[in-house]
Amino acid sequence: MKKAPATYTLHATRKRRGKNFRISMLNVFLCVVVLIAVHSLRYPVAEAKEYIDITSPAFKKLPIAVSEFAGSSGKEISDIIRDDLDFTGIFLCLERNAFLETSSQPFQQKNWTVIGAEAVVKGSVGGGGGKGLLASVSLYDVAEGKEIFRKEYRTEGSLARPLAHAVANDIYKHFTGENGIFRTRIAFVGIKGGEDSLSLMDWDGHRISDLGIKGNVLLTPRWSKDGSRLLYSSERYRQWGIYLLNFTTMTETKVFSSKGTNIAGDFFPNADNVIFSSSVGGSPDLYMYSISTSKLTKLSSSRGIDVSPSVSPDGSQICFVSDRDGTPQIFLMGSDGYAVRRLTFQGAYNTAPSWSPKGDKIVFSGRQGGKNHIFAINPDGSGLTQLTDRGNSEDPSFSPDGRYIVFSSDRDGDRAIYIMRANGEAQKKITPKGIKAFGPRWSSN
Amino acid sequence: MVIKLTEEVFSMKRFLACVAIIGFAIFGCAEKQAVAPVPQPGELTPPSQPKEVEKPKQVPVTEQVTEQQIAKVESGEVPSKMEEVSGMFKDIYFDYDKYEINENGRLVLRSVADYLTKNRAHKILIEGHCDDRGTSEYNLALGDKRAKSAKDFLLSLGVTSSRAEVISYGKEKPLCSERTEECWAKNRRAHFVILKGKK
Repeated sequence: MKKAPATYTLHATRKRRGKNFRISMLNVFLCVVVLIAVHSLRYPVAEAKEYIDITSPAFKKLPIAVSEFAGSSGKEISDIIRDDLDFTGIFLCLERNAFLETSSQPFQQKNWTVIGAEAVVKGSVGGGGGKGLLASVSLYDVAEGKEIFRKEYRTEGSLARPLAHAVANDIYKHFTGENGIFRTRIAFVGIKGGEDSLSLMDWDGHRISDLGIKGNVLLTPRWSKDGSRLLYSSERYRQWGIYLLNFTTMTETKVFSSKGTNIAGDFFPNADNVIFSSSVGGSPDLYMYSISTSKLTKLSSSRGIDVSPSVSPDGSQICFVSDRDGTPQIFLMGSDGYAVRRLTFQGAYNTAPSWSPKGDKIVFSGRQGGKNHIFAINPDGSGLTQLTDRGNSEDPSFSPDGRYIVFSSDRDGDRAIYIMRANGEAQKKITPKGIKAFGPRWSSN
Repeated sequence: MVIKLTEEVFSMKRFLACVAIIGFAIFGCAEKQAVAPVPQPGELTPPSQPKEVEKPKQVPVTEQVTEQQIAKVESGEVPSKMEEVSGMFKDIYFDYDKYEINENGRLVLRSVADYLTKNRAHKILIEGHCDDRGTSEYNLALGDKRAKSAKDFLLSLGVTSSRAEVISYGKEKPLCSERTEECWAKNRRAHFVILKGKK
């Protein structure tokens, strides 16, 4: 939610500060505290002063110049910031070879107006003591000819990438009023030597870490809404179990297992209840399970297959896949298992649904012309849109701000992880060459 | 579409709420100034120096960028103690996206039932598999249905339920990895493994 009418230009909504404020510092401080306190109740974004209106039909990318930062890690860090901003499609990152001044030179308005930059990012990176880093970053408004934001970022150890993403988040928030997703992560299943392992990486595919969880077969993990846990299914020694990984304690617990096939699944908003598909009763049906009480409640029942449940962000609805009408299609039902209705009618193979964070879209994998592609549809069945058209693509899920989608695809050979904007633009592979991967899920925060 | 921030941003209601909040904040503070004009003993800034007000802006904010260290979890689970014998029976095959047993499949299953009648201490594990054209989770459920169809046929031949177990591998363990009709047909299968009682 924003408080001001959204505008695209940098300077349009800026309020000039009066020079004749005759109030003591204490009073200014009190005012600010009260303002922020009151504001933050209704408006998550209190500090941002200017906005880019991403919804406006006349929306135009903001030309921004991200200078190469001074210092030894300066290039690496400023490149990451530029790539983050560029992927959003909201900024137009200008070519550095056109820049007339460097990060270390003083900011001069005319050097930037001539190349069409409306905002400039400059910075320097030095050692923050020991192995750490200290980055000092400034943001300039070219039209106003002055610095509008300055901040220092300090890390210990080798966190250059997270540091750069933190800077990108601040710049993004400054212009859009929204939280950036540049420090979010993606959980996925990596395949090494015929064995699957649960892995985690940054949203841009860097810093892949194997969580140590192996299985003969593992399937798509799901994040709890607070991002502290993952729910996934794994086959070990001829049995499918539903498992929970707790990032706070770094422990794995088996939630449920039985003869037959158990396939996660999703969390309900309260995080104690999870939903999964199990053939414990003979055929793959959907069950709600309470982690604290171990109570198992059957939510769906059909002669055929019910699988891949995804809980709406408010917890009131569940979309899932069923072949009850002959072919796999997406269905919706209330969280109590009642009011079942079919959502997809086009095509004979629609699977792997997932809700958008606002609950206004469902993405899924649908077969079209013999290949699986990513589609989006509104929960009322309208607005069906095909988003991919190369190779086979599956396992789509939204970023926490709903602006991007991660999915797996075999378009370049082996299965790998890709991201794109929610409208299908800017599709790119994020996992490195030689890594087989599938089942990605974007973290919820 | 997802690229929408908010359309109803500048409703009159919100505008008024905003004005009210800001007004309250400033007015409330201004009142405090009037009520408490006596400088606090610890106050460093004299209230009569307006230039000082802008100064705090110049001090850069510092953010400590940290990250939770992710330790490796070792998933410890006890291996099965059953001895497995594979390859005694032929795989049985299924049509695309189907889990009905065909005539050939029934033939193989009759020999499985026969074997189980003669070897009372043994069990059968039926693996369900799919070709890789579908998606992972649906295929896992489909593989479950294929294995279950095979099991149901064995039960109809008099095998007791506890002697036939099912497991699905979906499309995750293909026999053949080419993208041809012939290869897909080979992957849409149920595979039989004999389990020789617990040791």
